[in-house]
Amino acid sequence: MDFDDSPDEAAYRARVRALLEEHAGELLHLAPGQEGVDARTHEAEMRRTQRVLAEAGLVGVTWPREYGGQGGTLVQQAIVGQELARARVPALINHIGIGMCGPTVITHGSQAQRDRYLARLLRADDVWCQLFSEPASGSDLAALRTTAVRDGDDWVVNGQKVWTTLAHVSDHGILLTRTDPGKPKHAGLTMFVVDMHAPGVTVRPLRQMGGQADFNEVFFDDVRIPDEERLGEPGEGWRVALTTLMNERVAIGGAGGAIGAPVEEFAEHARERLPRLAPERQVLARQAVGRAVVAALAARYTGYRRLTVLSQGGIPGPEASAGKLAGTEAGLLMADAGVRLLGDDAVYAATADGDDRWQRTQSWLPGISIAGGTDQVLRNILGERVLGLPPEPRNDKTAPFSGGTR
Amino acid sequence: MNFDLDADQRDIADGARDFYRGNASPAAARAGLEGGRLEPGRKALADIGFLGITVPESAGGSGRPLLDLAVVAEQGGAVLAAPSLVTAARAAVLLADVPDLAAQLADGSTAFAVLDGAVDASAPSVDAADATLFLGLDGGDLVVGEGEVVPGRPMDATRGLASVRLTSRRVLAAGAGELWTRARQAGAVVMAAEDLGGAERCVQLGVAYAQEREAFGRRIGSYQAIKHMLVDAWVGVEQLRSLVWWAAWAADSNPAELPLAASAAKACAAATFERAASTLIQVHGGIGFTWEHDAHPYWRRAKVDRLLLGDEAEHLDAVARLAVTGALGAGR
Repeated sequence: MDFDDSPDEAAYRARVRALLEEHAGELLHLAPGQEGVDARTHEAEMRRTQRVLAEAGLVGVTWPREYGGQGGTLVQQAIVGQELARARVPALINHIGIGMCGPTVITHGSQAQRDRYLARLLRADDVWCQLFSEPASGSDLAALRTTAVRDGDDWVVNGQKVWTTLAHVSDHGILLTRTDPGKPKHAGLTMFVVDMHAPGVTVRPLRQMGGQADFNEVFFDDVRIPDEERLGEPGEGWRVALTTLMNERVAIGGAGGAIGAPVEEFAEHARERLPRLAPERQVLARQAVGRAVVAALAARYTGYRRLTVLSQGGIPGPEASAGKLAGTEAGLLMADAGVRLLGDDAVYAATADGDDRWQRTQSWLPGISIAGGTDQVLRNILGERVLGLPPEPRNDKTAPFSGGTR
Repeated sequence: MNFDLDADQRDIADGARDFYRGNASPAAARAGLEGGRLEPGRKALADIGFLGITVPESAGGSGRPLLDLAVVAEQGGAVLAAPSLVTAARAAVLLADVPDLAAQLADGSTAFAVLDGAVDASAPSVDAADATLFLGLDGGDLVVGEGEVVPGRPMDATRGLASVRLTSRRVLAAGAGELWTRARQAGAVVMAAEDLGGAERCVQLGVAYAQEREAFGRRIGSYQAIKHMLVDAWVGVEQLRSLVWWAAWAADSNPAELPLAASAAKACAAATFERAASTLIQVHGGIGFTWEHDAHPYWRRAKVDRLLLGDEAEHLDAVARLAVTGALGAGR
């Protein structure tokens, strides 16, 4: 047992670190306390940052070489992720394209689609989004209602998608539609690549509870998609979507990184703020700080166990969902204690000198319990696929979708 | 990155599982509440070598790392074995420079207990009830002596709790405060490992029942109310396992991290085992609340262990104090 890199991993890490230093002048970096960059205001710099990293061989680490990737391992991908975080390079503008859309094109796309899209995606020449959720289908994705109807060599799409991260800067998206309402809900779906600049596509920002607008609603009004942009066979859309969601699990559960604030940053905040509280409050605050640190360390070291599995050639199974659950819990505990440590300022949206780091974190974490599998859906996955508990009986899997049992 | 047990440690775990399953059980723990003999007992643990896992080979032990002892302790915890390996872990640290006593610890010829609190009126101390020789901290010195034992009515007989007044004492090491603290941390890691085994067993028993018991026309494990309770308990067990392994590794390989890791593991163990044991009872409904059922011996162990070797509040406070003074380092 050890926490060190193998000699190969250490050499790879050193190379990544050197590349990040060599190109530091061309990359975006987060300021202290800043956890992200707004693509609305920094699109050009974010695209440039990804292009520079792609040219240095640090994007698409696990992708096959024939599609512009590095043919590397999941551990190398995790090392790149750690080193990008260490260098305070923000999340890549195309993180959804790299983590989810691209792998779906690799698995289910035609050779022409792979040639057309993948290298440009890695360089952020094109930004991608994932058009799955709808107003009436969130956790129950297969209940979606956006339709695609065959018309000559094209399909005509009508409907609405929602919670679409990065749609406002995207050039392409993978779009899950219903093509056969007469079949049961999972059997009547088909996936496409859609041009986000096509006539009939309208993107509107959605403002989140914290005030930011990172995601969007997207409307499709008679949008024509050529049949050659289909991903997989008609009616195979659910299987294609599962590829996407499997890759989402790898993207979220693979490296065991912190959700919310890194525990070191939280500890530094506590060091500054604890002494400013009244002595009798300090005792209580230390309990909250200790509880949050324990949760964060437990999530971190559990992440190291997953990383060890990857390191030995394993792939993340459904138990990776536990990493997101535990990481979210740790993030919530740190945000809550982080705000409480502010004393009287805890009831304001920022401190008197304008610092809103902990209030801001507190206000976006509720979304993490919903995105990428709600806490409750993850518990169902873990209960059924890891613990082997029986699923709930369902009456929506066999009847035609158009029959009303949705 | 290689944060997993190696093949040797897996073999040790398998061997310990077989031994403990054959020689201890929650039924024995329950019988212990009515005066029954505690299983497997000190002699059996000495004979199979578990009491000397971390005792140096020169003193008749195996000279193995604390991680090995933790791996074994987890299996003991799964069947509520007694006595605890906590005493073996602590005493091995305290007796590192006292080979004759360490040999008696390893071969079981002397029944040791380590006293918490003052030596003339100790706090309830693990496995003191049937011990004959006691180690304590007296004015900063490590002392050994015989004593008068006052057990209370047991909530969990397997812990052998009793208060002790030393009737004789001999100084083994002067100014032993640091040694004492390190031994207590090793003990906390091993108790967290026993709690890990107990908590995991609670989840297994709860899952097994939820897979077969039917209500309202279907198996109760299909209801999210039941399923999610069990999942939360299981996620807690996996988090605890990571902290226990880290803390045991730190004791062996990076002692500077041990205070933080041991307190994190012990605090997590208190909450995790309690939740798992409560979940086990709740999933079973009425039958889980009966004397004959195996649920309450686990629940009793959880209710007692959470307060031993420092309660959750003490360890959370320690974690917070260490974290704000830079014990997290620059991150790993």
